[in-house]
Parts: sequence; C-alpha cells; structure tokens
Amino acid sequence: MSIKNGITIEEFIESCNKFCEISERLSDGWKFYGNEVDKYKSYIKKCSFLQQVKSDINTLLRAEFVIFYNLSYGVPSFSFNVWNSSGVLLSLEEIRQMSLISINKDNFFSIITQQEHPVLLRPYFVIHPCHTEVLLRELKEVSKNIIVTFLGLVTPLLRLDLPFEYGL
Amino acid sequence: MANDREVLREIWDGKLPICFQLAQEEIMEIQQPDPFYVMVPRLSYFPLVTDKMKRHFLRFISQENADSEMWLDYNGQPLKWHYPIGFLYDLFCGNDPQLPWTLTVHFTKFPEDVILHCPNKDIVEAHYMSTVKEADVLKHRGQVMSTMQKKDHNQLWLGLQNDKFDQFWAINRRLMESHGDNEGFKHIPIRLYSDDGTCNQRLVSPKNGDGSRKNLNQMISELYPDKNDVKFRTHGVTLPLDTPLQWLSEHMSYPDNFLHLCLC
Repeated sequence: MSIKNGITIEEFIESCNKFCEISERLSDGWKFYGNEVDKYKSYIKKCSFLQQVKSDINTLLRAEFVIFYNLSYGVPSFSFNVWNSSGVLLSLEEIRQMSLISINKDNFFSIITQQEHPVLLRPYFVIHPCHTEVLLRELKEVSKNIIVTFLGLVTPLLRLDLPFEYGL
Repeated sequence: MANDREVLREIWDGKLPICFQLAQEEIMEIQQPDPFYVMVPRLSYFPLVTDKMKRHFLRFISQENADSEMWLDYNGQPLKWHYPIGFLYDLFCGNDPQLPWTLTVHFTKFPEDVILHCPNKDIVEAHYMSTVKEADVLKHRGQVMSTMQKKDHNQLWLGLQNDKFDQFWAINRRLMESHGDNEGFKHIPIRLYSDDGTCNQRLVSPKNGDGSRKNLNQMISELYPDKNDVKFRTHGVTLPLDTPLQWLSEHMSYPDNFLHLCLC
C-alpha cells in the first residue's frame, strides 16, 4: 500500500525508536511518542531553549521540534514552533529574521508554511515535504537510519545541532 | 472521469445562509450593530467571503483593533478558516441543522493555538494549492500538478475564488482523470473527521483486493472493524453506503480535491 520508494509507517517508527536510543545516549533530548490506537500519529519531539540577541538584549525563547510521518508523501516531515518568554508564538517573519533558518527570503515562505499539524492538530510551522521527498527516496537505500538522513537534509536549513555520533 | 455534471453543478451551487454577530465584548458604541446576513458558497473559505461583513462591523469596535486579525466562533468553538465553509457547517451542525448559521465575530484575543494566522488571501491560496498538490500525490503521484503550468494553477484558484464553475472545472477535470490502464486513482484523497474535529487520514485504495470497485461500506468495515452503523456526511448529504469510492472522489470532493467526510 505504500507509495513507491517512500518509507512505510513501520519503517518510520523503527527508525524513530533507534534514533531516540542514540539521542538518549547523547542526552540530545529527542523523545518518541508512540500512539497505540493510531500508529500513524506516532512522532518524535525535542524541546529546547534558544538564545536570541536583539539590539544587545538577550532573551530566551522556547522551541519545539517535531518529526512526524507524512502519509500522503510517505516521508518524515519536520515541524516546529518557537515561543517568546511570555508564551506568545513567534511569527514566521520573526523566525526568518532570527536566522534560526538559513533560507533566502524568496524561498522561505514557499518552503515553510504554518499548517494545522496533522498529528498534534494545532498550528505549527511545517517544512514542505516535496523538497525532501525526492532526495530522501534516493538516499533511502544507503541510509542506516532514515531519521538521521532526513535530519541531515533539514539541519542545513535550521540551526539545529546534530551530533556526529548519530552517524556512527 | 467526473461525468455526472449535474452532480458537480449541484454541489458547486450549494450555499449557506450565515448570520454574523459581533461579539458583545467588542462593541464600543452605544448603538448595537445589526447582525450581518449573507449567503455564501459551501465550497468557499471564510476569508474569501467576509470582507463586506468586516467593513460592516469596523465602526462599532475600538479603532485600535481595526487592523487586528478577525476570527469567528460557533458556540464558543473557533472556526478554522482553512477548511471549506460547508465542511465546517456539516461538522458542527450536521446532526442538528441550524439556519441561518449564527456565528460570532471577534477582533481581539486571536486564538493562535487553534487557528492558523491568515493575514491575507495569498495565505488561503497557498494553503489551497498545497492541499490540491497533496491530493494529486495520492491520486497520480503528483504527476498532473507538476505537468500543469502556472496559469492553470491560477485558473483553478481564480475559478474557486470568483465562483466560476466552468473556469474551475476546465482545469479540475484533468486532476480527476485516471491514468494508465487501471481505472481509478492510486489512492483516494480522503479525510475522516469525528464530531470532536479530530481527523484521520488513511491510505485508501479505490479497489478491493480482487480488483472490484470498493464502496463506502467496504472502506468502513476495513477502517472500523469494531463499529456498527457507521455513517458519513458531506455537502449536507448522508452518503449511501453502496457509493463507489472512485465515483465519490471524482464528484463529491471539495475543490481542494479531498473528500472531507464527517462521522455522523
């Protein structure tokens, strides 16, 4: 039933589990949230704090990164939200300006959009899957862990540390 | 291919009478504003049909909120603009019809943990086009959308936005064609909603294992093996259980090319 060359939900969950085992060893903060009732709603999440320096004022932001399974495209998808210290959601333009993400302005808004999260059912910023889909299909055969490979594709866009040890 | 043109036309022409009322806490004038009545296409989206209503209420609210993002609620539940209007009505009032549909208008306290921001109509268009694209990935591995030109994409959107049936279907018919020797889509773009609004998406084939056409009843027994008497509503209609999924997808999908079915 899976879309040709995409990954199945079972492969996704297995990779997530392995990835989170490594993450735990490295204390990198990724956790697996399995869903017994609906396996398609399983995901991994990492919460962290980001420093923002704006006109010499240092503020702390809270960020949440979620990787879920995109059923239509048959690929993992990357989503995130960033809140300021008062709990207000940062806008996409604010996120673009803090260069958490290095994509030029023209492409930025076509690659990242706010969507209702298919799993968490709340607004999240989602990196559009069609940009990762093609690459991921080609890399699938040589990948040891599809989540590591996927994050390798996404992390150049995001200031998100991915320890080398994941590749070992 | 979508051949039952009368059905397509009937669904396209579906309208809902809406009564918009300004939330009491927004009213800054002694005089109470009249409610604003309007007939809107079921297939449209709220940000496309609320300009006039917004202007009607603007002079009754605090001017400092005049530029803030307007949002709507029904019975205290914020309405998600990124779903078609008719779907929202079926979800909230399907079992208990209420006409006109009375909605409350807000200009403050935008519930950003529930509703997507919608600063302009370009956001609606971007959201619409990405949903059509996703549907095409399910139906034809994305091949139809990727071979279309930018002007075709525009025509699809403008047809919907301006309520032009012929303009819209001239392009949409290509998205509703089956390719290759197999009659039918690879998968049916379908989203199933419980009455609490939670959505389940599944990969659904238009055919059974033996190659015969799969109907709604067969899909239900696959997806809900433990439940009896499952029924679905869309466009205000409770769907007959023997409806073939392929026909349903071609004729009863919303303009975003997805079937949005409410459990009833």
